[in-house]
Amino acid sequence: MIFDLSLIADSIPKMLAGIGITFQLMALSAFLGLILAVILLLMRISGKWYLSWPAQVHIYVFRGTPILVQIFIIYYGFPQFEFIRESIFWPILREPFGCAVVALSLNTGAYVSEILRGGVLGVDRGVLEAGSALGLSARHKFIYLTTPIAARLALPAYSNDFISLMKATSLASTITLMDMTGIARTIVAQTFAPYEIFISLAIIYMVLTWGIQKTFGRIEKYLSRYVKP
Amino acid sequence: MNFLSLKSLAVGAVALLAVNTASAEVLRVGMECTYAPFNYRTADGELTGYDVDVAKGVAEIIGADLEFVCQQWDGMIPALLANKFDLIVASMSITDARMEKIDFSSPYRDSVGRLIGKVDGDLNLFDDNGDPISANFDGLRVGLERASTYENWFNAKLPGAEIVLYDGSEPLYLDLKNGRVDLIMTNPMKAQLRFLDKEDGSGFAFASPAISEVEYFGVGVGIGLRQGQDELRDRLSAAIRELINNGSMTEYALKIFPFPIHNPEWGTM
Repeated sequence: MIFDLSLIADSIPKMLAGIGITFQLMALSAFLGLILAVILLLMRISGKWYLSWPAQVHIYVFRGTPILVQIFIIYYGFPQFEFIRESIFWPILREPFGCAVVALSLNTGAYVSEILRGGVLGVDRGVLEAGSALGLSARHKFIYLTTPIAARLALPAYSNDFISLMKATSLASTITLMDMTGIARTIVAQTFAPYEIFISLAIIYMVLTWGIQKTFGRIEKYLSRYVKP
Repeated sequence: MNFLSLKSLAVGAVALLAVNTASAEVLRVGMECTYAPFNYRTADGELTGYDVDVAKGVAEIIGADLEFVCQQWDGMIPALLANKFDLIVASMSITDARMEKIDFSSPYRDSVGRLIGKVDGDLNLFDDNGDPISANFDGLRVGLERASTYENWFNAKLPGAEIVLYDGSEPLYLDLKNGRVDLIMTNPMKAQLRFLDKEDGSGFAFASPAISEVEYFGVGVGIGLRQGQDELRDRLSAAIRELINNGSMTEYALKIFPFPIHNPEWGTM
């Protein structure tokens, strides 16, 4: 097989034109997903069955199905219903970008809430007992003791999920979005050269992952500054 | 089991293999398997359609056995080049861009495209000569299949239209119906059967004349094969001409459409 290096050089700038959409998808979904994750977490650890139950159902459904299927259901499935097309959500769900953000947020929210729960459960009982001894209320203990410690404990697993989310944005290309993967697939369709193009695409994603990894490494170091000698 | 019987078993196996290879050449045929009515599966899972009939007809004439491989459209040519199959019989138009990578047999079906939009759209897209009015396409969302000939035509003729690329033809109809795109361009024969004649297609109609400029749409649909197989290509072309001349090609079309969908002149090309 002849490997066309000039094709790689040509196609990388074209694919980078889609990096904006990839970033927007990633940032927006990560932000909305994190809010959802915190809400789900609070529902789960509330101790009230009518709050904990729906949260567990959401987590089970979105962890139990492939993200591609979720994207297809939201993009192609929902508009089949008249009431969705007439609802206030239609301006969002009409656009492939809106559908992708909704699907990615709901999905990452489910995963991250479990990651956060792991962090909360990992907080040393002794710290909370010390808090009680100082007369802190349950709310204060959660905000000032549990939250910072849990965040630090959950961070390595969260960075993992963040990287997964970044790569999952590529699935948005299946619902007509022209993110980097969408552009790559269109170039392949024109040049019939899948190896060169997809390898270039893989390199771009790897560079992005490296950046995310480094960023989280820094945050981790900052949050752990009082732990290490 | 002793050594002798093992040996005779091996001899038997070798003999069997030899018989198998001698019996017939096996050609693997790539197609989408979802592109009704040209290549698709019936409710009981059987492959059928115009492309399938043509492939079988050609195979019978050249004396080959067929093996069908289902492949998504945008990976069709890469898969052929990667030797995943030997022929493309998938309603693929013969275009110059594709000829750079693969060879084609002589054509076996017309290659046309037509726009579909809302019945009451009143978009005033084409003038009396059937030429598109470029300004009226500005800002319109048009759904197309990725890697189709239609995309080249739009890019060249109507750059103002906003192109939305899909991975298959069924999602096109869905999104036209859902109002995500204003127009779609696809094969009119197929769209009539799969969409306009059905309940889903009510309220929609053709919004353009049939467009078949050779520069963009090619001379027609042919069988694709890897380059450097001139002998095979000539056998395929001869078989297609025979199918056209003996009336089989018309017969295949009449199974689905009320009219033949090839040019009879191709039989004498």
